Amino acid sequence: MSGAGAVVLLVDDEPSILSALRRSLRREGWEILTAASGEEGFALLAEREVALVVSDQKMPGMSGMTFLAGVGEYAPAARRVLLTGWPEMLSQAELKAARIDAVLPKPWEDEQLKTTLRGLVEGLSG
Amino acid sequence: MTNGSPVVSGAARLRVMLVSPCVEPGADAEGVVDALRSLGSDAQLELIPDLETARPALSSSEVDCWIADEALGATLLPWLSETSRAGGPPCVVLVRGGGAEFALAAFEHGAGACVSANDALAQALPAAVRSQAARRTAIVERGTAASSFESGSLLDAHGAEIIRTMNSALWLVDCDARIDFANPAAAQIVGLDVEELAGLPISHFFRDRDPEEIPIQRVLDHGERLRGAETVLTRDDGRVVPIGLSCAPFSRGSVRAGAVVIFQDLTEAKQLEQQGLQAEKMASIGQLAAGVAHEINNPMGFIHANLCQLTEYTGDLARVWERVETLRKTAAATRVDPAALKSAAAELQGIIDEVDAGFLMEDFAKAIGESLEGSERVRNIVQDLRAFSHQDTAERVLTDVNKALDSTANIVWTMMKHSVRLTKEYADLPALSCFPVPLKQVFMNLMINAYQAIEERAELDAEHRGEIRLATKRSGDGVQIVVTDNGCGMSADVMARIFDPFFTTKEIGVGTGLGLSTSFNLIERHHGTLTVESRVGEGSTFEVWIPIEEPAS
Repeated sequence: MSGAGAVVLLVDDEPSILSALRRSLRREGWEILTAASGEEGFALLAEREVALVVSDQKMPGMSGMTFLAGVGEYAPAARRVLLTGWPEMLSQAELKAARIDAVLPKPWEDEQLKTTLRGLVEGLSG
Repeated sequence: MTNGSPVVSGAARLRVMLVSPCVEPGADAEGVVDALRSLGSDAQLELIPDLETARPALSSSEVDCWIADEALGATLLPWLSETSRAGGPPCVVLVRGGGAEFALAAFEHGAGACVSANDALAQALPAAVRSQAARRTAIVERGTAASSFESGSLLDAHGAEIIRTMNSALWLVDCDARIDFANPAAAQIVGLDVEELAGLPISHFFRDRDPEEIPIQRVLDHGERLRGAETVLTRDDGRVVPIGLSCAPFSRGSVRAGAVVIFQDLTEAKQLEQQGLQAEKMASIGQLAAGVAHEINNPMGFIHANLCQLTEYTGDLARVWERVETLRKTAAATRVDPAALKSAAAELQGIIDEVDAGFLMEDFAKAIGESLEGSERVRNIVQDLRAFSHQDTAERVLTDVNKALDSTANIVWTMMKHSVRLTKEYADLPALSCFPVPLKQVFMNLMINAYQAIEERAELDAEHRGEIRLATKRSGDGVQIVVTDNGCGMSADVMARIFDPFFTTKEIGVGTGLGLSTSFNLIERHHGTLTVESRVGEGSTFEVWIPIEEPAS
């Protein structure tokens, strides 16, 4: 599988969401990192070369949008995916400004999640 | 036929006068006179051709009802005003070409009824005459009785007429607490005729109460005055009507003669109040909805993902089970083939490694555990939320105040947990006899209010750490619930008005301005108090105090 060994960072303040995402992605052959907040996410980005960042939108403190907008400083090439229960609340302009590649609904469908993330990771390595 | 001669005579208990140019010789008055004949033998009918001739009869009390023909012309309306102002007999106006417009003018000038001179005249005219005359008789009789309260003429026919036509409901009650006089507005509220009301004891409408608890009785007994007291009366048809009443004693010389009672039907006002409460509830619920939805959506997210994953795990584990079956059958054969046994075991090992069965078994349990925890969370939210969908209970219920505060906090918390720290200091409290739903609504209003104050402060100072403190304790004969925030606080001006209905400092659409006034009323209903202390820029403290025992009213 192309993109094998890629490092993927998942950010959500809800541990059970991180755990469920990890389950969904366990067969993708990626190295999964998790963070409970945007701040923790930045700390990991500073240490590791991350190919893909998936973040929840609604978190205490920094929102997912703000966090993803800041990803570029650490990992300019990393693809950015926002996970949200209320996709209709996001403006296209904001998404563009934060350079978000995809928005996924919450709850997500496993197949849609895997296809989207795979596409982004393979696009990078391809 | 001569003027003033009776055309219908008999016992003459009903004296009716028709004033119309059509009774002139040669004019056709037959339709009208025929209609009046059906009044029967106890009616005495006088026919008068013009108003001037009618004057003496109208200014005496010789006539119970008179009929004025529109054909009398332009002078009729001023005449109507004059006779009705002078307390003359009621007038039924016979409407011809002028139609509804003329009828309206006639009513405005004091007509008691208007009847159209059409085909229905034969029924309508006698009916109108009878009802007008009956009202007149009732007023005169009642008026006389009422007049006897005072040596003068408290209620002469004219005064009675004023009271009869006013919109407020009025009773005159004698010292024996019997209704001596009631006006039609009062009769309408209690659902009886004016005549039926006369002589009824007031307790008739306050059936399930001790006499000394009836407000009017207190006025009669102690001479106190009541202004705008709210109570309910029970009608004969069982309907309970909320009323606002004012009541004052009146005396005849130095002797107390009875009481005047004026009251209004508050049914509509109560309904509006109820709608206001409902609107407030809806506004608060609307604010909560987003927080609650998020709180439910998160667990739903991972429960759903976990279930999808577990379906995959089950598929993998089924493949392991298949190999287990093959191995078992091979081992159970009558002649065990060692080579086949070995290969089946190897295949089993192969699939175990392929699907990572060890991890699957472990993670299966973990996924189920997490999902159970998530569904538990959703269940609790729904449970807490249900408290707000309940309609009010009719009776007081013994309630654990700490629990009520907690379940409300759980819900409200969902909308603010990202920006506010919540601390709780609960004391051991006795169960409180209260209406739990309104009480929770008060808690919710206070918490939302605290949150909004914190948000407002955060707009000015992004670094500000919001905090809400919930505390309960025993205080005197009651329990105290304190909600403290470190939000924007408020000025003395604002503080003085926060319990006023529709007073709001928030933007349109954020609050209805009813939250705190509603809370205040709900706490008053519990015979408790709601007080506030606040400083601009520092925060506010709201204190609810509710007596443990419902005070005997």
